[in-house]
Amino acid sequence: MFNLLHNDLIILLTSIGGILILARIFSELGKKIKMPIVMGEILLGIVLGPTIFGAISPYWSAALLPKVGAAKIAMEGITNIAVVMLLFVAGMGAQLQVMLKQGKAGAYTSFTSMLIPFVLGFIAVWFFPHFFTFAPDRKLAYALFFGIAMAVSALPVITRILMELNLFKTKVGMIIISAAIFDDLTGWILFSFVLSIMGEHSDVSNIWFTVGMILGFGFFMLTIGRYFINKTLQWIQQKPAWAGGVLTIALGLCFLGAAFTEYIGLHAILGAFIMGIAFGDSVHLQEKEREIIHQFVTNVFAPLFFVSIGLKVNFIDNFDLPLVMLVFFLAVGCKVFGGYLGAYLGGLTKREALAVGFGLNARGAMEIILGTIALNVGLIDAKMFVALVVMALITSMISGPLMKKFLD
Amino acid sequence: MQLDLNKLKKRSSYPFETIAVALSFSPRCLPVLAEAKRLSTLLNASLILIHIGSKTSDKEKMLDDLMDEVGIDDNKSRIIWMEGEPVETILKLCKLHIVDLLIIGALVKENFVKFYIGSIARKISRKAKCSVLLLTNPTEHPLDYKKFVINGIDNPKTIHTISTAFYLAKHLQVKDINIVNETEIIGLDAAPTFENVDAETKKSQKSFAANEEKVLQSIIEKNITADLSITIKNIKGKPGYAISKFAKDNKADLLIINSPDVQLSFVDRIFTHDIEYILADLPCNLLIIHSRV
Repeated sequence: MFNLLHNDLIILLTSIGGILILARIFSELGKKIKMPIVMGEILLGIVLGPTIFGAISPYWSAALLPKVGAAKIAMEGITNIAVVMLLFVAGMGAQLQVMLKQGKAGAYTSFTSMLIPFVLGFIAVWFFPHFFTFAPDRKLAYALFFGIAMAVSALPVITRILMELNLFKTKVGMIIISAAIFDDLTGWILFSFVLSIMGEHSDVSNIWFTVGMILGFGFFMLTIGRYFINKTLQWIQQKPAWAGGVLTIALGLCFLGAAFTEYIGLHAILGAFIMGIAFGDSVHLQEKEREIIHQFVTNVFAPLFFVSIGLKVNFIDNFDLPLVMLVFFLAVGCKVFGGYLGAYLGGLTKREALAVGFGLNARGAMEIILGTIALNVGLIDAKMFVALVVMALITSMISGPLMKKFLD
Repeated sequence: MQLDLNKLKKRSSYPFETIAVALSFSPRCLPVLAEAKRLSTLLNASLILIHIGSKTSDKEKMLDDLMDEVGIDDNKSRIIWMEGEPVETILKLCKLHIVDLLIIGALVKENFVKFYIGSIARKISRKAKCSVLLLTNPTEHPLDYKKFVINGIDNPKTIHTISTAFYLAKHLQVKDINIVNETEIIGLDAAPTFENVDAETKKSQKSFAANEEKVLQSIIEKNITADLSITIKNIKGKPGYAISKFAKDNKADLLIINSPDVQLSFVDRIFTHDIEYILADLPCNLLIIHSRV
C-alpha cells in the first residue's frame, strides 16, 4: 500500500504548482502567436517531459516529475479526474436538440461523416495490419479504436472556426455543428464500448451485456435523468442561500456518473460525457454558472491533463514520419469525404458540401483525449499516439482556411 | 368544396382576412368567442366558428346564446359543424376556407402526460398551415393589448413574423414592442477549455450579436409603417425558453413567434427545443405566424 510521505507530498504539490504556473506562462506566450491554449500546454509537457528536460537532465526530471512511487500515483489520479471533467465539459456543449432541427442534410451528414471514416479506419487496420503495431489478441479493439479515431470531431474548435468565419448560423454551419455533435456522441459511446471489451474475459454474452448497459445508461440519463437534473437545478436556483450549489451539484453528478459507468464495466469518461449532456441541457443552468464550471476546468484541470500528455511520451523518439503521414492523410481523406458525401446527398452544392467536409475535419483536443486514454490503457503505442496528436493539431489548423476557400 | 392549395401557397401572412375560432363548449368558450369577435372587428375580418362534434339542438341553442352575448353578427360570420378527429378536421377546414388566423383557447400548462401525448390546441399549433393564436387567459370583456414580444431570431420567416406583428400592433394600437433575438452559440462555451483564447472568443461572440442586431434593424426599417416604440433585445439562452422567460418576466400580453421549421414529433418534446419550450408553459397569449414561405 502506498502512503503519501512528507517528501512525496512536497514533490506532488511542487509539480502541480509549477505545472499550473508554467502552463499559464506558455499559454500567454502562445497567445501572442495566436496559438490555442491546449497547444501551449502540450508544448510545456514536451519541454518538461522525456523529449527535452528528461533528455538533458534525467536526474532532475525524475526528482521533480517522478515516474514511480506515491507522488506519481497521486498525480495520475489527478489527471484521471481532469479527463473526467474535460469530458463533462465537452458533454455540456453537445446539445442533441440541434440534430433534430437540421432535416435531411443534417441527418445524412451526421451519418456518413461518422460511418465512412469509422469503416475506412477499421478496414485499414484489419486488412493492412503491418502498417500498425498492436498486441495480437487486440486486433479487433485496435481496429475499432482506429475507426473511432478517424471519425471523431471536435465541437469546440469547430464552433470557434464557424464563429470566426461568420458561418455559425448559416445552413452549412448548423449542419457541421449538428454532425459534430452526433460524431462526438457516437464516438465516445463506441470508444467506451471498445475499452470495455478489451478485458481478458470478454465473450459474446459480455459484449451484449456491455451494449445493453451503454444503451440503457445513455437512454436513462438523456431522458429521465435529464428531466430530474433540470428539476433539481430549478429547485436550487430558487434557494439564493445556496451560492455555489450548482457547481457542487455539477461536479458531484459528473463524478457519480463517471463512477457508475466505471463500476458497470464501461469507462468513466462515458458517464462524465453523458452526464455533461444531461446537465448542460438544463434551461436552469445560468450563463455565469456555466462560466464558473468552465473556468474551473480550463484553468486548473485542463493544464494538468494536457501537460501530462507531453510528460508521458518522448515526441522526438516516437515521431514516425510514415505513420504520421498515413494517419494524417487517412484521417483527412475519409472525414472530408464522409462529410462531403452526406451534405451533397442532403442537397447542398458541391462546394458547400466540401466546406462541410473540411469543417468536420477539425479533430482538436477530443482526438488528443481519445489517444491519451488509449495510450494509458495500453491499446496503442507511443508512435501511434504521437501520430494522432500531430494529426489533431494540423487538422484543427487547416480546417478554417479550407472551409473559407470553398465558401468564398 | 374542394381544397385549392394554390390559393394558400405564397399567400401573405397578413392581413388576417378570415379568422376562425375553434369552439368546444367548455367554460372558456364564451371568453374565447368574445376575443375572436373583438379581433375580427378590429381587423375587419370575416369570422368562422368551428365546432368538431355532433350538431344537436342543445348545442345550437347554446351557440346562439353565446353569439348573442358577445354580439356576433350572423351576416358577418359562418358556423361550421363537423364530426371527426378534431385536430385533422380543424386543420383541413382551415385550409379549405383559406383561414389566415385560427384562435383557440389553451391552458397555460398541460399536465405531464397530456403534454407528451399532446393536447388538441398544442397539436394544432405544431401542425397548422395558418397562423394560430393561443389564448391562455381570455375574458368576456377582452382587455387591450399593451405589450408585444416578437421573436427576432435569424431565420427567413422572421421578416414575415415581424411585419405581421407590426400590422397587428397598428390595428390593436399597441405601442410597446420588444423584438427579442435569442443567441445561443452551441459548443462555444467549451472552446476556451480546449482550443481558443478567451479574448478572441468573447470578441467573436460580441461581433456575432452585433451583426444579428444590424440585420434586425434593417428588417424593422423596411417594415415599419406606424408610430411604434420598438426595442431590440439580445438575450442569451436556449431559443424558445429564453424568449418565453423574457415574455413572462416582462408581463407581455402577446408573444409572437415563427411557425416551426420542421415537422415536430414526440421526440421533440423529449429533447425539448424552440417552440416546445413555449408550449410546455405558455408565458402569455401566443401567436404563431405561419408565413407560408
